[in-house]
Amino acid sequence: MNCKEYQHQITLLLYEELLESARVELEMHLNECRNCHDAYESEKTMHSVLAEDASQWDIPSDLLVESRRGLADELDRIERKRSWWRMPTFSVVFTPMRLLESVALIAMGLALGVYVSNQRQIPSPVAGNSGQDQISVIPRNGTISNLQVVNADPVTGQVELSGEVSQPLRFQGKMDDDTIRNLLFSALRDANNPGSRLKAVEVLSQKPTNEPVEEALINALVYDDDAGVRMRALEALRKFADEQHVRIAFMHALKNDEIVGIRIGAIDALTASKSKDQALAKSLQEVTKNEDSPYIRSRVLQFVGTSK
Amino acid sequence: MEAILKRTAQRVHESEDEKLLIEQAQNGDREAFEQLVQRHDRDILRLAFHMLGNREEAREVFQETFLKAYRSLGRFRFESSFYTWIYRIATNVSLDHLRKRQTLKEEISYESDSETHPDRPALKDTLAATTYYSNPERRLYGKEVGEKIQEALKILSEKERLVFELRHYQGLRLKMIGEIMGSTEETAKNYLFRATQKLRAYLSNV
Repeated sequence: MNCKEYQHQITLLLYEELLESARVELEMHLNECRNCHDAYESEKTMHSVLAEDASQWDIPSDLLVESRRGLADELDRIERKRSWWRMPTFSVVFTPMRLLESVALIAMGLALGVYVSNQRQIPSPVAGNSGQDQISVIPRNGTISNLQVVNADPVTGQVELSGEVSQPLRFQGKMDDDTIRNLLFSALRDANNPGSRLKAVEVLSQKPTNEPVEEALINALVYDDDAGVRMRALEALRKFADEQHVRIAFMHALKNDEIVGIRIGAIDALTASKSKDQALAKSLQEVTKNEDSPYIRSRVLQFVGTSK
Repeated sequence: MEAILKRTAQRVHESEDEKLLIEQAQNGDREAFEQLVQRHDRDILRLAFHMLGNREEAREVFQETFLKAYRSLGRFRFESSFYTWIYRIATNVSLDHLRKRQTLKEEISYESDSETHPDRPALKDTLAATTYYSNPERRLYGKEVGEKIQEALKILSEKERLVFELRHYQGLRLKMIGEIMGSTEETAKNYLFRATQKLRAYLSNV
């Protein structure tokens, strides 16, 4: 190893990140090499100054309390807005806890006379077990994922498994149909599948004429992790840009969305209205005070100018 | 030996306990999520506060980090520890804020800010008023040395700054830092080395 490589290791030595053997070797070299020893002393001095800085530093005492309170308020707000999610809906992913709800909903769907694809199979018992020993059911054409062994007793042979079962699904109906709409809402909740959420937003945006659909689109705009889904939701909501709750969602996107294209879409939608509003102008100035897009800043200035 | 066994048993217990909390939170248990937050929020806030240097942005990063975690917890598959996962979110959010700030700085002239935006306080004044050295706790300690270090940290690249921050101020091991960055321990070592070399060069000149 040459001096340059030894000097590279000095940093790791000071941060106690060197293996024992490498540490011994480096220390032996430092005893023999003047240049490396000087480099070590210099870095050690800096390290202790920086360590002193780190030890003196802590977050202001009230900041943690303030931040926790802010987070709790925001979570409350999200839960209030998402309360409609909790209404019974179809779910294509079954867990033991959701099984009962799902069965009830399928029965409801049948009662409503919804056409159910003849692909759907009646659940059958798990192979190898029957009667009172049966622990769960899966559909014949279902697939299992995230299977985990919760418990396995080698003495009795009793095994407890958990996982998720999904099965193919096909429905036909009109957009006004509750079942279709609930399926689309359910797809919007599929955290693992942005493509499915995008499709759901696209379909819902074809006829966003009632409140639950509008609210689902607002939720997609405000909360979805995928920028494509948020953008599509924003486009769908543009025609309702005069409604107060839609404007609030646009304002939220303008302030918080990390994608500049979405923020531009939001400012365009908010300022497209013919009615000039000084209160809106003021809010826009406030919300965009840290904005880094020159386009958005110029749109705000333009709007403020014309609304005076 | 007994102490080591005790500590190991405690760690296993804590890890199982955390796994249970995560599963409960994944099933929509808000209280479980809040318990998870409280286990890590001080560390996350410290990281944000030191990386961003002011209260307001630190609070924003804190909130954004945990809201992102809240929204995507369903996708957490226990492939890494929750600690690594939440730190990864926090570092990404912090870097986004630093980048945004950099863009803003580039677009707005530092000195002529008050001319182009008379309605805003000058950027230099805002920065001076909000750096973490302006808080009372900070003033008590060698302000001059602290400010020099803060200046020196600005010359580091984003990744160098991040690795230095996580190792020096947060005390994380390089192996974990590599995981947080989605990279390797070796890469983290190289960033740390480059960061300390730059800091040494800068601080020896002032």
